[in-house]
Amino acid sequence: MTDAGTDTRTDDRAVDRAADNADDVEARTRIHLQRSLRIATLIVAIAIVCGLGLLNLLRQQDTHDNFVVQVIAFALLAGILGMTTLLVVLRLQWGRWRRAAIAVVFLAVALSYLTLPDGKTSTTTDWIFGAANWVGVVVLFDRPFRTTASFLVAHELFALGNLVLFHEVDRASLARFATGTVSVLGFPLCVAVAAAVLAWLGREAAAATRELERVRTAEAVAAATHRRRTQRFAELSDTAVPLLEGLADGTLAPTDPVVRRRCSIEAARMRRLFAETDSVENPLLHELRHCADIADRKGVEVELDARGQWPQLPVAVRRDLTDAALTALATATSWARVTLVGSVDLVSVSVVADCGESGVLAPATPEVRIETFGSGGTIWTEAQWQPMAS
Amino acid sequence: MAAHGELITAVIVDDHAAIAAGVRYWCDQAVPPISLIDAGDRLAGVWTGPGADADVVIFDLELVPRNPDFGELRRLVDSGRRVIVYSQHSENATAIKCIDLGALAYLTKREGPDHLVPAIRAAAQGLPYTGPSLSGALAADDAPDRPRLSPRETEVLRAWFASSSKELVAAKLHITVKTVDTHIARVRVKYANAGRPARTKSELVTRALDDGVITLAELNDVAL
Repeated sequence: MTDAGTDTRTDDRAVDRAADNADDVEARTRIHLQRSLRIATLIVAIAIVCGLGLLNLLRQQDTHDNFVVQVIAFALLAGILGMTTLLVVLRLQWGRWRRAAIAVVFLAVALSYLTLPDGKTSTTTDWIFGAANWVGVVVLFDRPFRTTASFLVAHELFALGNLVLFHEVDRASLARFATGTVSVLGFPLCVAVAAAVLAWLGREAAAATRELERVRTAEAVAAATHRRRTQRFAELSDTAVPLLEGLADGTLAPTDPVVRRRCSIEAARMRRLFAETDSVENPLLHELRHCADIADRKGVEVELDARGQWPQLPVAVRRDLTDAALTALATATSWARVTLVGSVDLVSVSVVADCGESGVLAPATPEVRIETFGSGGTIWTEAQWQPMAS
Repeated sequence: MAAHGELITAVIVDDHAAIAAGVRYWCDQAVPPISLIDAGDRLAGVWTGPGADADVVIFDLELVPRNPDFGELRRLVDSGRRVIVYSQHSENATAIKCIDLGALAYLTKREGPDHLVPAIRAAAQGLPYTGPSLSGALAADDAPDRPRLSPRETEVLRAWFASSSKELVAAKLHITVKTVDTHIARVRVKYANAGRPARTKSELVTRALDDGVITLAELNDVAL
């Protein structure tokens, strides 16, 4: 059924729109939650690097063999944090520079480790062990949990590698490393887990909103469709239903030319009814085309020509204008010319066809006038709309 | 130019061979027949050779699709040629522009020999021909500088467009076919008297004044 098809399409579009809205909600919720947590993480990172890290670096200035290199390592980390702060303020992400930033972090760690005095791993002298991890977490904030976790593990392995390769591995150094790991790996990992959970919660909340929205829209669409169908059925019941009933109970014979004529007209009327709900730029012309199509399918040669511009007319007026054309087209034998001339204050629909004289229904709206003129087997019906003089 | 009774010659410029062949068939079948020269899609065929002396030019406005060649139409009219524009399209604005440029007829390709043959005969005598399609365009013309038409003239234009039969128009409006023609002719005179000057147009106005189709006072009245 054309009818059901049209309705379903409309429904789908409405539901799609609702989903789009929900997507907006989801995106907004997620962005808001993530931004808050990103700022919090950044503050923690700055406090640890520039507070604790810098304090340890300055206090242990004398124990360092090459203090300048340590300062350079610190400057690299501070630079990355500065850039991240700028990005947070501008609401931007690291994007394709992320890899470079992580590389700079590891470069700083490497510089620091290479100049670390013997036996000082995981002590307050090894200030970068507990600082670089936070910088990495901040840079990788919007990446999936596994990326952050991989970074933290890599950072751990770096520190372990440094211990094993360049320093003396003994009970004390291993114990320091193990204790350090608890905070160096554990705390940032907690933050990453929190971020992942928040993102999941945001997605879930948005999905719930979207589902609710979708159900509500579907309900509204169903109600509107039902109303439309009831109304259409009421419109058809006056003319089409008695015809169908007559055919069903055998009181009307399909072989009777009068019955066939009535069937043609009702079929055209239904086509027009379905066309009325299509959303098109020019409904009057659209409906006329549907009427013309009925005749065209019967093998009637139809010419349809429209000139001028006309205002948007209400459905009742359009029906009055197309009714005569519809009847003539549905009963034309071999040819029909349908024309439409419009202006702001006059719209005229004419059909000239070789159809039998037919009793055209009186127009329902006072602004429409219908004239029928017949000459030698040709019937010319003209319906004119003129707005009432105000 | 062909005097009364002499064989009318027309030249057609159209890139579709089938159209030219169809028009040739209609011209051969016409009584009396019309001699047709086929220039193909070459505009040069209208200016040189046998085409240069043809009484009427049947001109396909869109030799290049979607690019109506108003410039060539203007050149043809300016050099005194009597042009029938034969177009695939039926946009109001295009039809009216062709008339304003001085074409004697504007026919769409849906309008067959019933309109093309009379149009060629009329054009050969320097007279306009208004087919149903152009009639609809004139009836629906709402340009601010359009000439003022009487309600009856508009009604006739609309009816001619709707029915495509002057007999039906006459019977419906309770007038004679001759009166139908007079109304349409008056509309064309009003349009010829407006807009861009062209020789075909001024000839048309002069002749209408001579024949009493319209008076000078009426013409001055419609020119806004």
